Amino acid sequence: MARKDLLDIASLHREEIEFLLDQSTSFKKLFTHSVKKIPALEGKSVLMLFYEASTRTHSSFEVAAKRLSAEVTNFDVAHSSITKGESVRETIETLQAMRTDYIVVRHGHSGLPGMIARQTTASVINAGDGAHEHPTQALLDAFTIKEKFPDPRGKKVLIIGDILHSRVARSTSTLLQKLGVEVAYLGPGSLVPKYIPESIRRFTDYEAAMAWSPDVVYLLRVQMERQDVQFFPNVREYHRVYGITNARLAEIRDRGLYIMHPGPVNRGVELCDAVMDYERSLITNQVENGISVRMAVLDWLTPGGDFPRQESYVAQQRASSTVIMP
Amino acid sequence: MLLLQNARIASENSPVLLEADVLIVEGKIQDIGPNLAIPEGARVIDARGRVLMPGMFDAHVHFRAPGFENKETITTGSEAAINGGITGVVMMPNTRPALDSATAVATVLENAKLRSRIPVYTSGCVTKNREGKELAEIEGMRELGVKMLTDDGDTTNDPAVLLRAMQYATEFGMFFASHCEVPELAGPRALNEGVMSYRLGIKGSPACAEEIIIDRDIRLARAAGAHVHIQHVSSKLGMETIRWWKSRGDVKVTAEVAPHHLMFTDEHIGDYDTNYKMNPPLRTQADCDALLEGLVEGVFDLIATDHAPHTPFEKAQDFLSAPNGITGLDTALVSLYHHFVEPKKFGWDLVVKRYSAEPRRLMGLPVAAVEVGQQAECLLFDTEAETTFTREFMKSKSQNTPFLDQTLKGRVDLVILGTEILLER
Ligand SMILES: [Zn+2]
Repeated sequence: MARKDLLDIASLHREEIEFLLDQSTSFKKLFTHSVKKIPALEGKSVLMLFYEASTRTHSSFEVAAKRLSAEVTNFDVAHSSITKGESVRETIETLQAMRTDYIVVRHGHSGLPGMIARQTTASVINAGDGAHEHPTQALLDAFTIKEKFPDPRGKKVLIIGDILHSRVARSTSTLLQKLGVEVAYLGPGSLVPKYIPESIRRFTDYEAAMAWSPDVVYLLRVQMERQDVQFFPNVREYHRVYGITNARLAEIRDRGLYIMHPGPVNRGVELCDAVMDYERSLITNQVENGISVRMAVLDWLTPGGDFPRQESYVAQQRASSTVIMP
Repeated sequence: MLLLQNARIASENSPVLLEADVLIVEGKIQDIGPNLAIPEGARVIDARGRVLMPGMFDAHVHFRAPGFENKETITTGSEAAINGGITGVVMMPNTRPALDSATAVATVLENAKLRSRIPVYTSGCVTKNREGKELAEIEGMRELGVKMLTDDGDTTNDPAVLLRAMQYATEFGMFFASHCEVPELAGPRALNEGVMSYRLGIKGSPACAEEIIIDRDIRLARAAGAHVHIQHVSSKLGMETIRWWKSRGDVKVTAEVAPHHLMFTDEHIGDYDTNYKMNPPLRTQADCDALLEGLVEGVFDLIATDHAPHTPFEKAQDFLSAPNGITGLDTALVSLYHHFVEPKKFGWDLVVKRYSAEPRRLMGLPVAAVEVGQQAECLLFDTEAETTFTREFMKSKSQNTPFLDQTLKGRVDLVILGTEILLER
């Protein structure tokens, strides 16, 4: 059952998921009993390769690695303009030389962590690639839900927001479905892809979605930085149509539904301010659980063997950087 | 002198193969018939069981020279063609510099004469540097024999510019080849919008991005009285749009389909395999089925590969960073046989018509048929043998093809052009 990399949820088996969630439980217990460090990854190095800035995920991985006694190195790429696949390969070659054991990578291009994984013997963990996957987020979401519903089969999770660009929606919905949870999407027509898996219900208005009786309402972050293309007229309208307004929060409280959000929250857009004090908001639980889940993942993966002999990328004749379309 | 004994001759006019001997003297087919006498000094080839057909002609290839010789050169590109049984090609003008002037075209044609063993023709740009703004040096290129104008790789986005070009160039007997894609809809990623684009988390290009321009360019051609040739159609509705316009009969439209669009779907991309990244993108099985129907019916006049070489280095990037395009010349004929002729989806007559005769007619060239009096321009195809498309087998400088390391039924054994045997296996 040993795996070198964690690239996606889609290829994980149910037993692997159960195992990881169980391990996360153990790690969480350990740390609520005041242990701060265990030597599981002593002498190992974890490299953080974040091409997209993310304080939350980044520090969560960092804390997880340090609690396992690993040495953490940050490769500062978030602010460099060097984000194309070609230059990433150059970076990978450097990393090979550094003999790192784990690489935690986040990148705006879907599939890029997979490309890295094929070129290195280090264990690669996908910390979010484009609109593809964010597996540790999905694991921490499932873990958080299981804390409330130890047997989540038949429970219903409504995911609201920008599905089109959301790796969280993809990974979390895939994982929840593997655990027997029902999933539905709701969002602006321009942000919910026409082709979603048949197993996921799609609602076009909030009231109908509520009538489906979800147990958890999962709000996705509105990517404000993506608003160079207009997917909806403005955030006020978004909040009114797809957000948790004060009135909707009252209904949610009445029904006793849980609220989740991958963070960071745009206050007044996805959620009204009052949600921050809502007793069934699981948003801080998600953050907290992220650390144990990521420890479980790091502990589980097995970096593989010798470094492969491969033709040096740098030594290869550099192809023209201009790309010509067919 | 060459005598091919007991060959089974394919032609565009008959689904039945004619078994006969063929005598080639001084590069011309002198006699066809049963049991021809062996002339003194003739080389005899036993072609029993093998199919003899005219050399194929590919009206859509990218040879990347000038400017991208690391991907392909006229020499390696034309050798890849010969390797696949193709004896004539039309280059696309999206080189660097782009082929938008008489000078640029003259250079390429001179080069081709020196560096290719088969005729290499070229198309010219519609607009200067393919920018879609100013008209290219159209008449200057025509004087050098350019017939096809295209900004292939991109659509000529401004319809007013294209209409003016059509009005102007039609007077010179030239025609337009259209790469159909609304760039604002298609986005930069060559992946069909569908189940797969959701799964891979890449914004897909909807088929309508292609279909809109197919319709637009035919309407423009109708308004200008021009001939428009629709390139590499990938969608069902695209095919049906062309079918509808052809049935009206009041505009001259021809169209092509590429082998890969007949054989693969977006499902083949699997785990971001960049060898399936092309533009227009691979779509669904329903699209493949419709394209095949259109090919058999004649909505598509010809098959063309859109041979688009890229270095392994470029293709080994992640899906979004890798360039669009796959090679096709080494593999086209064998893959058509393997996927369609052998399983009896269509016959050799269709292959000869759509991949040899019609593309030559499109370009105003004499058709190469295996007939008495014609120049010898033909190939022998072994239907029982197999071809494994290893890197060593491929003659293209790049091997960005889904067929890499696949073994398919069929083999091109012998390619003859005039007095020369270009290939013998
Ligand atoms: Zn092309």
